[in-house]
Formats: sequence, structure tokens, C-alpha cells
Amino acid sequence: MLETIQNLALGFSVALSPAVLMYAFIGCVVGTLVGVLPGVGPLAGISLLLPATFGLNATNAIVMLAGIYYGAMYGGSTTAILMRIPGEAASVMSCIDGYAMARKGRAGPALAIAAVGSYIAGTISVVALMFLAPPLAEFALRFGPPEYFALLLLGLLVLAYMSGGSMVKALAMAAFGLTLGMVGIDQMTGYFRFAYGVVELGDGIGVVPVAVGLFGVAEILATAGQATPPSIMKPKLRELLPSRAEWRDSAAPIGRGTVLGFLIGIVPGSAHIISSFVSYAVERRMSKKPQEFGKGAVAGLAGPESANNAATSGAFVPMLALGVPSGPIPAVMLAAMMVHGVAPGPMLIKQQPELFWGFIASMYVGNVVLLILNLPLVGLFVNVLRVPYPLLYPAILAFSVLGVYAVNGSVVDVWIMLVMGALGYLLRKLDFETAPVVLGVVLAPMIEMALRQSLAMSDGQYAIFITRPISATLLCVGAVLVLLALRPLVTKTLDWRARLALAEKGEN
Amino acid sequence: MVRRLLSVVAMALVVVIVAHGAVPAAADDYPSRPVTIIAPFPPGGVADLTARPVAAALEKIMKTPVGVVNKTGAAGAVGMQSVAVSKPDGYTLLLALSSISIIPEADKLFGRPPAFTVDQFAPIALISADPTILVVRTESPWKTAKEFIDDAKKRPGQISYSSSGIYGTLHMAMELLSHAAGIKMRHIPTAGAGPAMNAILGGHVDALASGPSVVIPQIKAGKLRALAGWGTQRVAALPDVPAFKELGYPDAEFYIWAGLFAPKGTPEPVLAKLRTSMREVVNDPGFKSAMEKLETPIAFKQGDEFQKFFDADAKRLAEGVKRVGKVEEKK
Repeated sequence: MLETIQNLALGFSVALSPAVLMYAFIGCVVGTLVGVLPGVGPLAGISLLLPATFGLNATNAIVMLAGIYYGAMYGGSTTAILMRIPGEAASVMSCIDGYAMARKGRAGPALAIAAVGSYIAGTISVVALMFLAPPLAEFALRFGPPEYFALLLLGLLVLAYMSGGSMVKALAMAAFGLTLGMVGIDQMTGYFRFAYGVVELGDGIGVVPVAVGLFGVAEILATAGQATPPSIMKPKLRELLPSRAEWRDSAAPIGRGTVLGFLIGIVPGSAHIISSFVSYAVERRMSKKPQEFGKGAVAGLAGPESANNAATSGAFVPMLALGVPSGPIPAVMLAAMMVHGVAPGPMLIKQQPELFWGFIASMYVGNVVLLILNLPLVGLFVNVLRVPYPLLYPAILAFSVLGVYAVNGSVVDVWIMLVMGALGYLLRKLDFETAPVVLGVVLAPMIEMALRQSLAMSDGQYAIFITRPISATLLCVGAVLVLLALRPLVTKTLDWRARLALAEKGEN
Repeated sequence: MVRRLLSVVAMALVVVIVAHGAVPAAADDYPSRPVTIIAPFPPGGVADLTARPVAAALEKIMKTPVGVVNKTGAAGAVGMQSVAVSKPDGYTLLLALSSISIIPEADKLFGRPPAFTVDQFAPIALISADPTILVVRTESPWKTAKEFIDDAKKRPGQISYSSSGIYGTLHMAMELLSHAAGIKMRHIPTAGAGPAMNAILGGHVDALASGPSVVIPQIKAGKLRALAGWGTQRVAALPDVPAFKELGYPDAEFYIWAGLFAPKGTPEPVLAKLRTSMREVVNDPGFKSAMEKLETPIAFKQGDEFQKFFDADAKRLAEGVKRVGKVEEKK
């Protein structure tokens, strides 16, 4: 404990030197700008800018990358809130209530809550990372394919149990997303599935073009199709900060989102995306006013925004403690460390303490810099809403195409985005929620891989899922959830979903 | 206004096209404009991390800008294909890994029109070639490669290993060993070298073949034990770990390598210029220190020597892919 604090002091002495601070600042600015581009999230941001850091020394480079990473993460929610365009896949959930808040004239508070939530989640999860990394990493390793499969299945059940509105429609959308996720090379046998000779489809349908298409492009089409254009917002200065009630409503979701995100983040895979979905579902279930979700509920923004930030810190646990990347973002960070002559691995903490602790300290500093940078920018960003629609929307469309193309340099991705945009427009007209589609696209390859790896491990015996303690426990929890969902059938009482449906009927 | 803009754009296009055509294709003044190295994998991967110091050193030596472009997709096939069909003038080069020999074979196996074939490339230089190392967990019962192989013979299909993916480099290494030693193991493909390492560290599989730079930190930390390597010689950093060759399995030879290629048909003087430049690159102190940081020893080969290595490697891998066959054909 004392040692940790001494080490952290060492880290801060590195992170707070003027040169390092400057790179942290540059990283945050660049990251925010990159993150605002639709589709270009932290992963693409770090990858695109990694080569630019090769000329710097190790500490400066890592600090700048941490800044880019936090900046891109935050920049992604800005467009989600203001224009309903997910800057990256993890901000899909912010598109729903964040954008609804903006339409109600609360764009400033929404941006401020996202910034503060991200800051709190980021800082707390770095503290957790610092103290808990070694034991948590050992625990994360025990998640093999069977445990992973059980966890993902449980995740799907939780979402189905907690999503609002029509269950049939939500499940249909999730199933559609899962089907899209089947496209691409079969990782277990090498067969191409549903690729129709397009080499690019071998990698599957990316979540970024789907998310930008279903949310951003569909929104543009829907607005353009209205008989009267929506009125232009004129945000006033005193409306930029959240009200006392809004702060109160966001406090608990930020706390829950942080814990949830950090825990989910340790498990390998696209954890930051999943964590934001789970957090949204949990908030809706816990809320006393579930009917407000989708119409600008503060909790529906604060929870997921905190969760996805905490999750990405959680993802650094296995990387720092074991030197093994648990997902794409830590993998790029690891590569950056290697370029600068830092041998990643279990010995990193002992062998290069100033770098390790400098990195930890720079994560604190990055969070603070970002908050200082972004709170004043809220006033600037909301002015985007003043731009007349005939100018704003074509510009957004152009930036969406640019952003989606930039991620992989693939025209196929742009086509996927456009097709998804048309489809999203149709689905909106028919009153389907499109978020489950995005989740399905993320989950399908992971669930499939985990299931088939488990069966390869057990030589085809399904018993592997119940003979291993962690996966058995997770599956039991899942079974209980299914039983709970069936309870109203037996007791003939209305559950919250039915009550919600009735309430909505009354409103219309 | 619009018309004026259009005419400006058209003029600009004409100028660009004329300028482009005016650059003589003659090889004697190569390079007269910037050179692009395509890395078919994302930034941060081995191909990218090798390509960047190569580009930096080449730029100094050839006195022309050399850029790296990451053209990713379909396990590298997208980027490799783009170089295979590019203009063979020496201005588009490819930094490829071992998988360049595997992808066309896998395509053939599935009866797909191949994205490219190995003879569409002219090898310039081999930059690095690391033999894979067989590792098991420290608490596992096998202390030597012999114990491991004997046990695998006794229990066919029981000992499991993880890989970077089906037909991936780490899978091929194990396949070559299985064939050489006459054993059968259970294959658990994962989504990459990182997840494959996680699987063995977590105890979900028994064994793994991976590159020295990946396994050495875990060996030093006391988590994994090295049993043998796939090289012709022992790895310098692991002097106590024998090569399968010494143990009587000469066919178990495999390297994770990186090399520079040009499209076939590139004029011979251009290739010669690139080869001499590459010889200077591997002696460049900046390049040397960059490779040291990646913990990847330079293994420079060029000309016939590289061609021979490339051909032998491609042949071994082609046979390996055929032996693995399609999954449905088994059982």
C-alpha cells in the first residue's frame, strides 16, 4: 500500500513534467478531434496515430497515446449526443437518451454529464487497476472458452429480460444482428460464409459501419423525410450546465456504470461495447421511471458513458499484469510500448517502474486534462445545433462516409453503412429499436467462437459447461432469469414490462 | 461557379495524369518519386512494426520518401493482393509474413479463385526469421520434448494446443511437428497470437507454439517452460532449449519470418538497387536498434538465398495445409 503510493509519486513526477503534460494535452486535443469523426473511435484513433508517436521518447509517446485514447473515447459521445451519430460502437447507447436530451434543449447538460461521468469512471477504474491488477488478471485468465460462452449467454438473457417495449420486436432485431454477425470467414474451419466472393466480407460485417448506418444515416433520412424541418436549437449559456436534479439522477448510474464496466472490461473481447449495453439495461431496470428511457433519461446516458470508459481501463489489467493483450486497444498499446523498447510481460512492473507508474499516472493526468479541455468546449460544441439543417446534414453524411472509410480504408464498409442507413430508416418507420442489431453484430462472432472452442476442448461433450464451476454458476444465474421472466405467466400478475406497455398505450 | 470549379478540377486531373505519365519508367533513375511499402496488417502488428524501421532506413539510403500504408483485411489477403496486381515499377512494395505462402494454398483447398499466388511476387530481402518455440505450463508433467512426444503418442488426440487461427502460422508449426513425430493433438484455434497465449496461461490448453519474443517474457516469469524449437539451430536467447532437428525430427522446421517483396515483373535494375539498399538497411544503426527493441534478431537473406528459403518454406507450408485438409473431411 505504502509502496504503491511511493511508486505513484514516482509516476506523477514523470507525468507532471511540463513536456509530458504538453504531450498529454496534444494527445487529448487530437484524440477529441479524431473521435468526433463518425466511426473513428479509440481503436482506430490510436492505430491511425500510432506511427506519429514513433519519433518521441517512450514516456511521451505512451502519455500521448493515452491522451488520444481518452480523447477519442470522449469525442465519440459528443457526436452521439448532438447528432445521433455514434462516434464509435461503444457510444451507441448514448445515441438514444443523449440525443433525446439534446432534442429537448438539454444538449449542454448531456455533454457535461458524459464528460464528468467519463472522468469519474476513468479515475476510479485507474485506482482499481493500480491496486487490483495482479489478482484480477489471474482471475481473468480462468475465463476460458466455456466460461466466456456462459458469460455472453447470460449477457444476452439480461438484455432480453431488461429491454423495454415489445419483447418480440427486440428479439427479432437481436436475431437479425446475430445473423449479420455470421458473415465472414468461419474461424474454426476457414470456410467463407455469405461472402459472395467479396474478399473484404471475409472479415465479417464490421460493427462501425452498421452502427453509423443504423443510427446516423437513418436519422438524417428520417429528418429529411419530415414535412416540416425540426426547429433550429438556440442553446442559451445558462442552460449549458446540468441542473441539480440532473446531477442527482446521474450520480448512482455513474457509480454503477463504473463498477460494472471495470468488471466486464477485464474479460477479453469487445468489452467496452458490451458494458455500455449492459449498463443501459441495468439502469432501465433499476429506474423508478423506466418509461423515460429513450426520451431523454439522464441515467440512460450517465450509466453507459461511465461503463464504457471504465471497461477500457479494465481491459488494461491483463496487459499490465501479464503482458498479454485482452483486446484490440491494449494490443495496439502493447505494440507502442514494444516500439519504444519496453518489453511487455509479467516483469514489466519490476523492471521498468518509472514507465509503468508513469503510464498509470498519465491515465490520471489524461482524464483531468480531458475534463479541463472538454467542459469549456461544451459551449462550443452545442453551437453545431445552430447550423441550419440543409447545411448540417449533407456535411454529416460526408463526414460519416469519410470516417467509416478511414477506419479500414475499405469502400465495402461505406456500402454496408449506406445499406444499413436505408434499413435503419425503414425499421424506424416500423417502430423497431435498432440498438439490439448492433449488439447482435458484436456478440455473434464471440458467442460462436466460444461455443465451438469449448466443444473442441471437450471433444464434443456439452458437459464441459456444467462441470467447470465458473461457467456452471453463470448458467445457473441465467436459468433463474428465465424463470423470473416466466413468473407472470404463472402468477397472472403484470410485470414491469406489461405495466410499461400499458402506460405507453395510455399516453398515445 | 460550379462549372468553373469543375473545369479547375478537370485541369488539375489532366496535369496530374500528364505528370504521372511523364515520369520515365526507366529504371536507371529509380527512385525518382516516393516509394510505398504496403503492410497488409494493422498498425502495431509484426508486419507494421518491421515495415516502419525499414521505411525509415530506406528513406535515408535511397534519398526518397518511403511511406508505410496499412492495407488490412482477410488475414492479410487484401493488402497482398493489392501489391500482386500493382504496377511492377518498384514504387509499391510489400512487407509480408510467412502467411503469404499459406493463403493461396488455403484458397486452393477450398476451391476458391486464389486472391494471389506466390509467383506473383519477386523476393527482395528476408529481414527476420524466428523459429517458433514449443511451450507448456511450468506445472505440467512434461519436462522435455521427448516426454511430451511420447505422451502424445500414448494418448492420441488428448493433448490440446491453441493457435492464432486455423491455417495460421502457429497452427502450421504444430502441424509440421505432428507430422514429423507421428503424433495427433487436439487443435483449439483462437483469434490471434495474444488469445492463444491467454489460453495456455489460463490452463485451457496444454501446449502452444509461438515466437521467441512472445514466449520468453513468460518463461522468465516462471509461467511457461520451453521444450524445443523449430529452427535449424538453437535460439540465442534460449541456449538450453534444443531444436527438433537435434532430437531427430528434421521435418519440424518452421519460422515466423518477415520479408520485402516487389510485384513480379519489376525491372531487374530496380530490384538490384532495392537489394543493395536493403543490405545497407540491415546495417543501419537506427534499424538495428529498432529490431532489438522488438526482440527480433535480424536474419538477412537476399537474392538466390532468399528465393531458396522462400521456396522451401512455401513447399513445407503447402504440404502442411494439404495434410490439415478441410475440417469436414476428417472423422
